[in-house]
Amino acid sequence: MSVSRDEVLKIARLAELHVDAAALPALVEQMSRILDYVAQIATVAGSETAPPFVPGPAAAPLRGDEVRPSPLAFGPADMAPAFRDGFFLVPRLSAFDE
Amino acid sequence: MTAAAAWETVIGLETHVQLRTRSKMFCGCSSAFGARPNTNVCPVCLGLPGALPTVNGQAIRLAVRAALALGCRVHRRSIFARKNYFYPDLPKGYQISQYEEPLATDGGLTFASPDRGAVRATIVRLHVEEDAGKSLHDRVPGATAVDLNRSGVPLAEIVTGPDFRSPPEARAYLLALKEVLQYAGISDCDLEKGSLRVDANVSVRRAGDPVLGTKTEVKNINSFAFVEKALGVERERQIAVLESGGTIEQQTMLFDVKANAVRPQRTKEESKDYRYFPEPDLPPLVVPDAWLEEERAAIPELPAAKRERLVTRYGLPAQDAGVLTQGSGVADYFEAVVAAGADPKPAANWVMGEALADANQNDGVLRVPPTALAALIALVKGGAVSTQAAKRVFAVMAERGGDPQAVAESLGLVQVADTGALARWVDDVLAALPAEVARYKGGEVKLLAFFVGQVMKSSKGKADPKLVPELLKQRLES
Amino acid sequence: MSLAATLDRLAKAEPLHALLTPVADVRASLAAQSERAPQHGALAGLPVVVKDNICTLEYTTTCGSKILEGYRSPFEATAIAQLKAAGALIAGKTNCDEFAMGSSTEHSAYGRTHHPLDPARVPGGSSGGSAALVAAGVVPAALGSETGGSVRQPAAFCGVVGIKPSYGRVSRYGLVAFGSSLDQIGVFGSTVAQAGQVLSVISGTDPLDSTCEDRPSVSLPDSPHELKGTVIGVPGEYFPADLDAGVRRACQRAMERLKQLGATLREISLPHTQYAIPTYYIVAPAEASSNLARYDGVRYGPRLDGALDVRALYRSTRGQGFGPEVRRRVLVGTYVLSSGYYDAYYGRAQRMRGLIAQDFRRVFEQGVDLIFTPATPTPAFRAGDRMDDPVAMYLADIFTVTANLAGLPAMTLPIGRVQGLPVGGQLIAPAFAEERMLAAALALESIVPAVEEA
Repeated sequence: MSVSRDEVLKIARLAELHVDAAALPALVEQMSRILDYVAQIATVAGSETAPPFVPGPAAAPLRGDEVRPSPLAFGPADMAPAFRDGFFLVPRLSAFDE
Repeated sequence: MTAAAAWETVIGLETHVQLRTRSKMFCGCSSAFGARPNTNVCPVCLGLPGALPTVNGQAIRLAVRAALALGCRVHRRSIFARKNYFYPDLPKGYQISQYEEPLATDGGLTFASPDRGAVRATIVRLHVEEDAGKSLHDRVPGATAVDLNRSGVPLAEIVTGPDFRSPPEARAYLLALKEVLQYAGISDCDLEKGSLRVDANVSVRRAGDPVLGTKTEVKNINSFAFVEKALGVERERQIAVLESGGTIEQQTMLFDVKANAVRPQRTKEESKDYRYFPEPDLPPLVVPDAWLEEERAAIPELPAAKRERLVTRYGLPAQDAGVLTQGSGVADYFEAVVAAGADPKPAANWVMGEALADANQNDGVLRVPPTALAALIALVKGGAVSTQAAKRVFAVMAERGGDPQAVAESLGLVQVADTGALARWVDDVLAALPAEVARYKGGEVKLLAFFVGQVMKSSKGKADPKLVPELLKQRLES
Repeated sequence: MSLAATLDRLAKAEPLHALLTPVADVRASLAAQSERAPQHGALAGLPVVVKDNICTLEYTTTCGSKILEGYRSPFEATAIAQLKAAGALIAGKTNCDEFAMGSSTEHSAYGRTHHPLDPARVPGGSSGGSAALVAAGVVPAALGSETGGSVRQPAAFCGVVGIKPSYGRVSRYGLVAFGSSLDQIGVFGSTVAQAGQVLSVISGTDPLDSTCEDRPSVSLPDSPHELKGTVIGVPGEYFPADLDAGVRRACQRAMERLKQLGATLREISLPHTQYAIPTYYIVAPAEASSNLARYDGVRYGPRLDGALDVRALYRSTRGQGFGPEVRRRVLVGTYVLSSGYYDAYYGRAQRMRGLIAQDFRRVFEQGVDLIFTPATPTPAFRAGDRMDDPVAMYLADIFTVTANLAGLPAMTLPIGRVQGLPVGGQLIAPAFAEERMLAAALALESIVPAVEEA
């Protein structure tokens, strides 16, 4: 088994995903199978040194500095689950929380 | 103090400066400060599903200019990267930044250390990134309020080596950095508006120890006054821990202004794992060759170099050079006055005195053209106008313009060197003061100055003060 | 084409569960759209259904996920704006695997879509709803999206034409991101010409997508009468011993037809093919884990109430909003990017992409004009068959995922049936050679027995 229960829980915290205790054993098993399966690329000759491939243009287009916002058919107030006085609201964080 | 002397402080700084653009880094929203919350927003900076970033070329130009002004190597090709973390004011759940391949590396900034003289801080890297939004914890009871107007505002992050040995030294570097960035039009560096923010890495070690101590990161430093305080407090805290036999934990400390103390930031154990990877929504950032040349040309002579030149080329005192380089156009104005024929020292005095005083009353505009000021200085030098009278001429020229000779004449301030006219003023004064004449003749020669003053007064300042004493002596001693 | 007839067909197709938009909503929207639509555009009056991960102003955009239940986009995708400007009418949003993660449309939070020819089978995925509606004759064309084969694989399963353009050919602006370096909007059509015509409308440069190439749009070629001088490579790796016998027969028949058209068939090798799936299942989840971080319940989408702090809000919103396959991929993606694993997984996978792309470059440099392969290793499988085995599900994309990794254009068209189920043949072209690919597809389509048993 390539990942442990604790590793899955740690990754879940990093991804901010709640994982049900009941679902955990199956998830550990499935993630292990997936990770074992994809790890086979490590055995391929040249896979350590080949130049990486990323499709797309060679250079990002650089736009002019003009104030021209893409239009919104409606504003944040109409899409946010909690919105007041122009602000999105979330449960209170302390300034000392990260 | 004795305990502290046995310790050496090592500080490195990461400074975030807002680049002076109209629009945001990755979208066309305004980057202006002070709009109503969540009004300068669009699909891109709200992180809506399906939105994609586009790069603001002007932000790249300004970052290139900053890199060149700081002597960095600008990499023709660099890579945007995603820094992944969750926070309510980070709409996409990642910040677009640069990581393994930044825009620029290997620069330096020489600044005047209060302890060690001229010191060169190394600039390890300079990269571009977007700002997050703003979280307000005291705005709504029981909730944190999020404003995304700042989300996507363009920043340059400037990282130094661990080069500072004291909190005052760190502050001196920041002031020098701010001066360069403002002078070159790169950033307003306005702490109030959040356009300059500082994080510091701080460690201490026994004096002479070659190994660096464990460092902490001090965040939340949002004024120049707090830089020294926050770093000083953290240094003292570390020394106290080490002296009591403890060890320094690698952690992030936040400066609490009210308590004048630092407190560890509450973090979850995984929070530092930012899972950087190349931003797949943006191809490589390739700086056009022409931009390098154009931005190099756009950098004005930086303040330190200019001060040095004013001293060596014009023989000005260092203090004058300092005053003349405080505002960005002042030294240029001074040089134009000299170029128009004025002697450097009187030119400096006029610029620092009347010209700046007038400019301060008038939105910083230097209203008298350099050639006119140079002509006025020549009139004083030639004796045609007294210094006092010249100040009145200057004031009139500032308001209404005009040629100094003509203005002085219209005000009746041109000094009279004609001996006939002078003789009449002298004779009238002496005739009116027989008692004082008698005392002078009795040996009270210091009364000469009194007679000169009377002549100047009765001539309304027009008598040439250099000729009057001689004429008085002739009359009194004949 | 009459709107009433389209609405009638949409209503009749409801048992397929291919459309997520209620027909009544489509009716109201079509009435409004047809008033504004230009009457003389290239697609004037053409009803097009759109995969639910492409932003439209007209309907909700849920990506088949609970986390975007009821979400209305305040902007529309560039491709949608182009379709509308050409006179097309957006006739609803189609079901898909959640966030396009899946190969069967079983991973939709809103229930699975049925195969139009056999309701017990899957239509393929992730763009299964779009494929099913074109296959059922409800609409002539549809938009889908591809990350690893999500247009071509369901097109092959359902027996319609599916095109994945070159990476950078069609703007991704408004396509909800899954694996950004792999994603492209793709097209389904009842015929090659129909699909090609829609592609020509939505392709071209877009200042809102920095990865979109500055090239003119694809123009639909005339159907060539022959393919003389065209060299078609046939890679051995795409015809493994365990390839479904019916699929093999259908491919052999199609290759005979290509020869009849005058094409030269040449055996080629693409040696890194077997590593495409593992490479893909590193790159795509890694990018997805980052792309899906924005679904946090703060700015839009449903939020689970009662969370006492922000972490709890995130974890419950995301934990309950994402389905099992999305959760798995987000976790795998987070893992492969996490500290200490990046080089071994993501870094290595991008290099593997380099080797896979180089395989293609080499054969195209050696005079091969196009590549022909089966689109899928089997015809449509039964619903439920692969739900408990993620890796088995992943292998459904084994012949399609290479083109995504290498950024190449590829398409599938029906080349016959096996026990009544459609089989697709795939053409892969060099980057931005869509016109060459479409020309060959038009020629093949004209003589291949598309609905006959192989």
